[in-house]
Formats: sequence, structure tokens, C-alpha cells
Amino acid sequence: MALTAIAVVCVVAGVGYVTVAALTADGTTTDAQPQVVAGARGAKAVPPGGELLVRAVDYDNPRLNGRLFTIGLTPTEQPRAAREMACERVHENAAGDGLCLAAKPHGFDYQGIVYGPGREPLRRFSLPGVPDRARVSPDGRYGGFTAFLSGHTYSAGVRSFSTHTAIVDMRAGKQLFSLDQLEVTHDGEPFQRADANFWGVAFAGGDRFYATLGSGGHHYLLEGRVSTRRARIVGERVECPSPSPDGRRIAYKRRVGKQDRWRLHVLDLRSGRDLALAEPRSIDDQPEWLDDETIVYSDDRNVYAVPADGSGRPHRLVARASSPAALR
Amino acid sequence: MYQAESSGAVVRGGRPAAGARQRGGRVSRNVVVLGSVSLLTDVSSEMVAAILPIYLVFALGATPLQFGIVDGIYQGISALVRLVSGFVADRWRRHKEVAAVGYGLSAACKAGLVAIGGSVAAIGGIMLVDRTGKGIRTAPRDALIALSSATSALASAFGVHRAMDTAGAMLGPLVAFGLLVIAPARFDAIFVVSLCFAVLGLAVLLLFANGRPQRPDAPSPDSPMNSHRQDGTIHQSRAGVAETRPTLREAASLLTEPRFRTLAVAAGVLAIATISDGFVYLGLQRTLGFSLTAFPLLFVGSAAVYMALAIPVGRLADRVGRRLVFVAGYALLLPVYAVLLLPSAGIPGLVLALCALGAYYAATDGVLQAIASAILPDNLRASGLALLVTATSLAKLVSSVAFGLVWTLGGLEVAAAAFTAALAAALIAAAVVLSRSSEIAS
Repeated sequence: MALTAIAVVCVVAGVGYVTVAALTADGTTTDAQPQVVAGARGAKAVPPGGELLVRAVDYDNPRLNGRLFTIGLTPTEQPRAAREMACERVHENAAGDGLCLAAKPHGFDYQGIVYGPGREPLRRFSLPGVPDRARVSPDGRYGGFTAFLSGHTYSAGVRSFSTHTAIVDMRAGKQLFSLDQLEVTHDGEPFQRADANFWGVAFAGGDRFYATLGSGGHHYLLEGRVSTRRARIVGERVECPSPSPDGRRIAYKRRVGKQDRWRLHVLDLRSGRDLALAEPRSIDDQPEWLDDETIVYSDDRNVYAVPADGSGRPHRLVARASSPAALR
Repeated sequence: MYQAESSGAVVRGGRPAAGARQRGGRVSRNVVVLGSVSLLTDVSSEMVAAILPIYLVFALGATPLQFGIVDGIYQGISALVRLVSGFVADRWRRHKEVAAVGYGLSAACKAGLVAIGGSVAAIGGIMLVDRTGKGIRTAPRDALIALSSATSALASAFGVHRAMDTAGAMLGPLVAFGLLVIAPARFDAIFVVSLCFAVLGLAVLLLFANGRPQRPDAPSPDSPMNSHRQDGTIHQSRAGVAETRPTLREAASLLTEPRFRTLAVAAGVLAIATISDGFVYLGLQRTLGFSLTAFPLLFVGSAAVYMALAIPVGRLADRVGRRLVFVAGYALLLPVYAVLLLPSAGIPGLVLALCALGAYYAATDGVLQAIASAILPDNLRASGLALLVTATSLAKLVSSVAFGLVWTLGGLEVAAAAFTAALAAALIAAAVVLSRSSEIAS
């Protein structure tokens, strides 16, 4: 009798709450709109004439999918909504080939959306975890993404986060291979590690790419080719690399101390000269080159620009925006 | 399906059961009640566990590092709590009440998630209390299962309980996923439904579980290990059975009791030669090269086999000998390790490995508790079961660290081969030691 009463109360409360939730659910996309920061576009660090693609950030719910907006860097232009595409992470090349990583409508898992000029979705594929980084190659043939995986039990009881990073065939809209399957060499010797984790792919010319290999507390810079599925270690303490348009430098985040804190740096590939950028805060992002002199990045709330030679200071460019891509 | 009996009197094969041994196949109503409690509670816990990573990272914007901390708390708290609650339940003979505190704490945590689920720190705290609740309830609940069952049907009783428990663990994520399809991104709805299941579980325990069960085969005054009773004060319980109130020293002296110690050592040696699930799944993925997205399916596959086999294997254990089934269960891990060493095994190898893994659980988890229950005195049942579980989990932790180390240094093949050899040696040792120790004293 008592159980019947409790059961009825529980069922009524549960079903009622779920019904109300289902009717009022606002889904996985926010209506937030980015705002261009007044005066930022006239600043010295910001080259005029360029154009940025960003995704909107809801300050209260930063992981909700944000709609895409293009922002002209000429002072008078207003942000323009870029169709009904919403992403958690996005990248696009100069030709308009894009890769959008987004939560599926029910919010339970994630998908990658390959789109073409006009930001028209072309292909979709499932992602194995929470979106982290996305990149499209300059020629639009390849994409790369990193997702966080959870639920891998590496030792009894203690789960650890690992990353899944893969190269995407943009025409087929499919994963080509996971970076786990790369043949990695270090000084000509094979480099095999059971605890190897990969993240932060970025493409240079042709089928060349850079990425990060983490193993045993070290973070190596990889340079590889899609066609051969081979890569070699060319540097250390480099995470989320981003080659400059002229291909001579790498912008990246450099881990400081034992905690998860990073500073933005630029490495000159020829001379090996490495310098810290003027952003004093810890930034967890894959930087993007606006042109050969300027780097843009976000702190997951706003988009900033800073000179690539370590001079000057960071300028907040767009509020309520992240994942900037330069539409050169 | 098994049938629940409502009293101790069982008629089997035309034989009157009064005074006769209860045979496998029938379990007491109390075991089914406790199984239902576990089923409802596991639906409640596992629906939260399934969405917790995605909720923390997606809705709250937590970093992976924060997630790792919360998850570490979620996983690693119960050992000490289990020992304390086991002893407290024995000392004051309040198994049902102590278990209810554990179930109640977990239900309160679901209410906490509904009320203040919006901060990562708060969720960390709530999960700490939730795991404490789990630690508190396990040992007294298993003791109640044992105290409600005839010695000859202990493995069947644990089999029924574990089958229901696993069913709940498999249903939970399905319920959570279904809710997210109906109400996208409304995690609060999941917490509310989870609370409903937890409250139902607690209600079933409080209303229907018998906290002072009388064993169908009524304890004999010459029950095993009655040396522990000599020093204790003897008083009459409501059931009219002579009982003692165990002291901490008596609980500790379990470790020197020869048959319990033999069992703990055998179980520990086997556990130390066991590769943890996580590594087995990861090894299968590396060896056979299937997609990482199939990971959750591996868990579901072996859990389904475990659920299906828990009851029949429990009954088998009561019939042919629990020690035999227990050791044979560990032997089932040998084909699993063989698949890790054979990349050519392919999909048939994967299916074989998952089936063997599920059968291994069915033949070892509840069966070990049954073996221990048969040799533990009634008044130290919960303490002894808690000791045994803590010992085997420590052994498994050691094995995980060792396996991870060998894998990193020498590669997967070397690690799998080393553990295969170690397990074979442990099997021989356990078989010899356990066969010398008699099944049931009577």
C-alpha cells in the first residue's frame, strides 16, 4: 500500500517533469550573437581588409553550439550571420571549404559536418567524443579534428581522458585514418609508445600536416604526410601547432609548469628561434594566423588578436565568440 | 526464471523440506527484494554515470582535468567505508539499517544534483557522498543475502542478486539516452528521473526487506568458527537464536582463521594475475583494430553475458561445488588472454573473448561471496565479506599498475604473455590450496 503510494508519486513526478522538460527544451544551439569590440578594428595589431569566421559563444553555456558569423575587419562592417549552421568548433579555408564539429540535436553525442561554399552542409560523420580542434587544408582535400574521449579505463577504477585525432577525407566526408596509426620516427628511429596521444592537427601546403604527440609527460611537434601516413618528430614542448601562411613559422601553445597552463609562442622553423607572444594569460586554443604578422585566438569567450613578433599587446576583437578562422 | 519462495518450507521432488537442505534453484523472497533494490538503485546511479562526463564537459564547460578529478573521486572512495560499515552492521546486528543509510545517501545525492547540479565543485562533492553511500551498503546487503539463504543455496542466491543488479546497470544508460532523445540537453530531467528510481529502491528496501532473516536451514549451535563465540556475550535475539555481539578484535581475528585466510589468499593471488577490464578492452581494440566508438559495446556485451549466466552458474556452483566453479571461472580468462595474443582471431575471437569475460564474472563475483558466506560465522558475515572484497580490489589495483607498466615497457604481447603465465600458475596454486580446504563445515 505504502509502496503503491510512493510509486505513484514517483511515476507522476518523473513523467510530469520529463514532459515539461521535453516541451520546453531549447535544444543544443544558442541564440547568442557576437559583438565587434568598438575601436578594436582600428588598432595597430589588426590588419584592415581581412575577414574572420567565428562561432557565437553563450557566456552562460559555453559548450552549446554557436551560430557562425563572418566579421569584416574594415571598421564600419557589422557581423553577418552565416546561415543556420551552428558549431562548437569550426574551421574554413579561403575557398570556403569548412569543417564544423557540433553536438547532435539531442545533445548526447557529436558529429562532424563537412560544408562547401555558401556554408551548405555536404557530409556528416559521427565523432567519438567532445569536439576540441578542427582544421581544413588550404586545398580543401583534407580535414583534421581532435575529440576528447571519456570512459577509457586504463587502470582499475581510475578513468583518464584521452584524445582521438583523425584526418578526414573532405570529399567522402569520412575519417581517413586516426593518428594512432601513423608511423612515427624520431632521429630516423621508430618511435612507438603505448601511451601516445595525438592532438591539434594543422595543415601546411599539399598533404603536409603538423600535430602534437603526447607521451610520458613530453609533448612533441610532429610533421607528417597524409599520403604516406608517416610522421617525424621535429620539436618538443609544442602543442596545437599552426603553420604561418608563408610556412616558415609555427604558432603554438607552450605548457608552463606542471598544471594545465599554456602561453602562446611562435617558433621559427629555420633558425629555431622561439618567442613568447604578448598575451600574458594562459590560453588553451589552437592559434590561427590572420596574416603573416597577426595571430588570432580565443579564451573560449572572446576572440583576440596579437602581433606575431612578440611585440605590442593583445586586443579584444570580438566578444561572445570563439574558434576564429581567417578567411584569406 | 527462478521462483521466489515465501517461507523456509520448500517442497522439492515430493520431499518435505522441513529439516532438509534447501537445494539450488529456489531463493528466498528477501534475496529477490534485495535484488530489486539493487536493480532500481543501479538504474538510478548508472543513468547519472552514463551522462556525467558529457554533462560536465558539455553543459558546464568543465575542462578534461576537472573531469578527471571528479571521476577519480567517483571511482575510488569505497574501500575504507566498506570495512567500517561491515563491522558496524555486524556489531549491532543492523544490516538492513546500515544498508538503508547507504541507499538513502545515494538517493539524497540525486536530490542534491537536482537542487545544485550547476557547479563542477558541487558535483564533485555530491559524487563523493554518493560513492560513500555505495561503500556503506555493499557489505551489509551481501550479508543479508547470505543470512537469508540456506548454506546449500548461497551461490544461487548471489547469482539472482547479481543478475538483477547487472540488469539495472544496463538499463540505466538506456533510460538516460532515451530521456535525452525526448528532451534534448535537459540534464535536469535525467537527475529527476534518477531520483525517482533511487527513492523507489529505498522504499522497497524499507518496506519489504527483512532485516532479521532466519536462514531456511537454521544455524546450528556447532556452526563453523564457533570459537569466535566463546568470548562474546551470548544473548537471545528476537528470532531466538543465540548470538554474540562481535568485538573489533574478533573481526580482526578473521584474518587468522585458517579457512577464511586460505580463501582470501587464493582469491587475492588469482586477482593479482588478472588483467583489468579496461586493459582487456583496450588490448582487444589494439590487437583486433576495430573502431574506438565500439568501446561501450564491449562493456554492454560482457555485461549481457554476465546477466544471462549469473543465475544458472550460481545454481551450478551450489550443485557441483563452489570452489570448483570459482577456479574454473578464472580459467575462462585464459582464452580471453589468448585472443589478446592472436591478432588473426578477428571478430569470432572478439565474441569469444566477451562471452568468456561475462562467464568469468558470473562464475567468480557472486560465487566468491557465497564461498566466504559459507565459512563465515553469522555474527561476522558483513565484516568478513567486506574484508574479502577490499583484499581482492587491492590485488586488482596492484595488477593494473603492473600490467600498465609492462605494457609501456615491453609492449602488449609481452604483458599479455606474462599475465597468461602468471594466471596459469595462480590457477594451479589456488586449485591445490582450495581443494584442501573443505567446502562446508557441518
